[in-house]
Amino acid sequence: MAQVQTDTDKKLDKKMSAKNIKRVLTYLKPYRMKITILFLVILLSNIIMILGPYLTSIVIDQSIPNQDARQLTWIIVLYAVATLINGWASRYRLYNITLLGQDVLRDMRSDLFIHMQKLSFAFFDSQPHGKILIRVVNYINNLSNILSSGLINVLSDILSIIVTLAIMLAIDVRLTLYSLILMPVLFVATMIIKNKQRAAYDELSAKQANLNAYIHESIAGIKTTQSYTRESMNYDIFSDVSNQQREAYMKAVKAQDMLSPIVQNIATITISFIYFAGIRGLGVDVSTGILIAFVGYVNNFWNPIINVGNFYNSLVSGAVYLERVFEMMDVKPQIQDAPDAYEMPPVKGEVVFRDVTFGYTEEQNIFEHLSFHVKPGETIALVGPTGAGKSTITNLISRFYDIKDGAILVDGMDIRDVKVQSLRKEIGVMLQDTFIFSGTIMENIRYGNLEASPWDIVDAARVVRAHEFIQDLKNGYRTVVQERGSTLSAGQRQLISFARTLLADPKVLILDEATSSIDTQTEILLQEGLDRLLEGRTAFIVAHRLSTIRNSDRIFYIGDKKILESGSHEELMKKKGHYYNLYRTQSKLLKKV
Amino acid sequence: MNSIKWVWQYIRPYLFGWSWASIMVVAVALLNIVTPYVGGLIVDNVIYNGESDLLLPLLGLMLLGTFVRTILRYTYQIKFERIGQNALYQIREDLYTKLQELDFTFFNTTRVGDIMARMTGDTDAIRHAIAWLYFNVLDNIVLFVSALIVLSTIEWRLTLALLIVTPFIALFTILLSIKANGAFYEIRESFAKLNSMVEENIGGNKVVKAFANEAYEEQKFDVRNEGFKKANMDSVNISKTYLPVLETLAGFMAVISVGLGGFFVLNGMMSVGNLVAFNGLIWMLNTPMRNVGGYMNDMQRFITATYKIREMLNTKPLIPVNQKKSIQEMRGEVEFQNVSFAFADEPEHFVLSHISFRAEPGETIGILGETGSGKSTLVNMISRFFDPTEGRVLIDGEDARRWNVLDLRKQIAIVMQDVFLFSDTIKGNISYGKPSAEFEDIEQVARVADASQFIEKMPERYETYLGERGSGLSGGQRQRLSLARGLIKHPKILILDDTTSAVDMETEVKIQKGMKDVSRDTTTFIIANRISSVKNADQILIMSKGEIIERGQHEELLARKGSYYDIYQEQLGQSEVEEEEDEDGSSTD
Repeated sequence: MAQVQTDTDKKLDKKMSAKNIKRVLTYLKPYRMKITILFLVILLSNIIMILGPYLTSIVIDQSIPNQDARQLTWIIVLYAVATLINGWASRYRLYNITLLGQDVLRDMRSDLFIHMQKLSFAFFDSQPHGKILIRVVNYINNLSNILSSGLINVLSDILSIIVTLAIMLAIDVRLTLYSLILMPVLFVATMIIKNKQRAAYDELSAKQANLNAYIHESIAGIKTTQSYTRESMNYDIFSDVSNQQREAYMKAVKAQDMLSPIVQNIATITISFIYFAGIRGLGVDVSTGILIAFVGYVNNFWNPIINVGNFYNSLVSGAVYLERVFEMMDVKPQIQDAPDAYEMPPVKGEVVFRDVTFGYTEEQNIFEHLSFHVKPGETIALVGPTGAGKSTITNLISRFYDIKDGAILVDGMDIRDVKVQSLRKEIGVMLQDTFIFSGTIMENIRYGNLEASPWDIVDAARVVRAHEFIQDLKNGYRTVVQERGSTLSAGQRQLISFARTLLADPKVLILDEATSSIDTQTEILLQEGLDRLLEGRTAFIVAHRLSTIRNSDRIFYIGDKKILESGSHEELMKKKGHYYNLYRTQSKLLKKV
Repeated sequence: MNSIKWVWQYIRPYLFGWSWASIMVVAVALLNIVTPYVGGLIVDNVIYNGESDLLLPLLGLMLLGTFVRTILRYTYQIKFERIGQNALYQIREDLYTKLQELDFTFFNTTRVGDIMARMTGDTDAIRHAIAWLYFNVLDNIVLFVSALIVLSTIEWRLTLALLIVTPFIALFTILLSIKANGAFYEIRESFAKLNSMVEENIGGNKVVKAFANEAYEEQKFDVRNEGFKKANMDSVNISKTYLPVLETLAGFMAVISVGLGGFFVLNGMMSVGNLVAFNGLIWMLNTPMRNVGGYMNDMQRFITATYKIREMLNTKPLIPVNQKKSIQEMRGEVEFQNVSFAFADEPEHFVLSHISFRAEPGETIGILGETGSGKSTLVNMISRFFDPTEGRVLIDGEDARRWNVLDLRKQIAIVMQDVFLFSDTIKGNISYGKPSAEFEDIEQVARVADASQFIEKMPERYETYLGERGSGLSGGQRQRLSLARGLIKHPKILILDDTTSAVDMETEVKIQKGMKDVSRDTTTFIIANRISSVKNADQILIMSKGEIIERGQHEELLARKGSYYDIYQEQLGQSEVEEEEDEDGSSTD
């Protein structure tokens, strides 16, 4: 049932690759100066951390046996200053690591969003919107720690591992080798856990996306759900999806939390072994002082390894999110500007279809060899049975889809040769489903032309007869409407959408069922505005109302993947073909009482 | 405190596991102290005193201690994660249930992104508190208390001196928590805003492209994206004032210990050995002090989250769902008695005023009227999506408010103006209101709604998947699917709210004919703009500005030559002229 699509788990097809790591690094590159400084500051505080025990040992070894109160005082002062410096360093570190992380997130999210703007309808139509949303918003947030504190800490950890290892080697090579003897075990264990963890996180991210998508759809479709009293069934589906997320989470955590105990046990075994080797000989001959120091270093050595292990942990889980993000960035926009695309100059509005073949899928064509020529300023009504492809023709002119064969020319320019955005600026489309953004009515109308003044907006609203109802609203044009304009009626939304299109002032106008929800009285009033709107523009109108159709210069009757009839109302009536039948049926239906 | 009390109800079912896990936390914290202690024993007894026969037992003890400790730790970590997940699951369920109870008024005024933020980000902050924050705090408390005990036994005066720092730490922690609260609130608000903005952009992607407004959208996005960053930075600006201070104060404990301890030794008040031991254990006192600031931040995040979630859970739906009235077979009689309605946020502005009419079972009522004249609001009151501000709506002679909402809605099918189709198969969408429907049934209603033709042409016919909101289908196709979805319920009352506006007239007539057969006993309300859709109705209501201005049957209304007549003339329009030219004139009745 409804969960099926929210339940399809997209498995990652690629292995975690070095390419992705390189890609992450490109996001860090602009901040490399900051990262270097941060790294140095962290190094400084690490040195101070070592300084503490050192100062303590001086107190115990020198000041006290020598009864040197003066030295003790100096050491205390030094220690206090070091602590203050460390406080400053931690302040610097806290602020700048967060800043770095936030900057990187912002950049990445911004890139993803900009890329998303280029993706075609098919991308948005093919998956639940909740799944797209989670990538742009939530997944990117999940990367925050890995990219900032995680990365920098791991650098300083690796550094201290190297330093410690060098000191250990300087003290005693054999003991050092002894302390590394269990490294391969750790390595193998990490690999096993990593594989489990990656699979588990992959599943978790898929389940999380399913859950979010289901929640999202449940909210968006709540009115339908309540009307159809589907609540209890939806609840069951939700419980199921939610439970799957829970189990996937537990699986992921069980794998992830395994690493730390393993490292700690290995560390303890190693230390025991060093004690044993040091005390019982085993070919090592070291003094007790050195042995104690050495054990201290082994401890120092394992702590950063635990940290690195934890970082690796989060990297593995974060990588899954990262890959989903990159996966979306890699979706190729279907409609792309040609490399040598140029800005479309202002057009007169001539539209030519030359032998156009198009289909949404490979197998099925909506049109085959469709050709027509529309002169600037002409108004064309598209009629025909529902699903014949009237809207499709209008979608092709705006290049929302690319055709399979043939060419579409606007003012003689092939629309694939110009920049898509410049083409769409010349074409005004009023879509079947009106979309209202949350914001004021004024802002919603302004969407058609961002430079429009309030006067222009009121003018446009007057022309399309939206002014009356807007004035009746509590705050007039400043009334805030919620997303999708749920507080407005469908007809009111259409009027706003109409005003928006008028404001855009396009040369080619497409009205796709633009007035279907507007009542007749308003439409009569609107007609006047519509006439003004159509003046000097090429227009394609998809409508069912006879009066609208009749007034157009030419009528295209669409069917059988082509234009079956074209001509003015009078011509087509004389022809007594499809249009004649359609028209006659309609008037008959109206008259029959 | 309220937040903790509230979240406790979600933990209480797992009280047993929770207690055991808590005991394990204490055990592990104590074992954490034991391991370094055994290390010390090895150094003192084996290395310095040469008691080499103690080596193996001590090493064994250390290994065993670590083994037991790590196992216990892993066990309680998983236990807390499990309890956290269970609580999270339950909270989400409660939110989801609430979501389904809430009424249209709530959804008309609350952004989808905002609800999303509550159900995802906020619930996660709670999970974090249960599954991570709690045991870490407990662990640190145990550490702190045992440090106090152990250190006091070594040298109580020095311990007392160290505690001088604690009031300052407490002070700064409290200051931090006061300041941080607002900052976390801002973070989650800006997160919800970002979420909503992106959500709208995805939903409105067609409009964005149609107006080539991508650059504008990117600008809007930048504001939200920067806003979210800024909220995070504001919070860090507060943290950076307090956390380093806490860290430094904790660091000063070590300075005091060495310094004062050193003077104690110099004055003969303390032995060197005790100073070494004291210093070796100072971390136990230090660590909790260092961590307290971070925990306080997490705590504030948790409190903010519970606040938002509880707010939603406490929202009272205007239409209560759980009213008991035994299910009765509805006849389908609908009567409006002097009904007026105003939305709660605009009480002085009446959307409907003094509406009275009566529909007998099986009758068809046509409703015609201006855009925004209250037609949809009127029919929404039959399903009780809104209750009248004044007057009564009677279903079968019984006040709708006394009906159980679910029972009422089960017998009413409303085919809405805004067609919402789910990401599901066509079959799943049609049978949405009746998941148990037989396939033959589905095919039949699809035929009646004139949808079967285009469905048959789809690649996988009834099994074809639709995107969210049914994108990929034309407006007319969506309307017909939505009609089929309404018909399959075989309702007693059927409400068609502008259902066929995107369908051509011929198809509409076909649909109407088909519907007559399947819904003969159904009381039907048809909202439409076309005369053709309503003209066969038993009663036609013409609405204007929330009032019924004309009513009657088609012919009566035509005879009256009022607004209905005007609309009719306009819609008939040019076809009149056509008739004159029409040679055979067969269509004139």
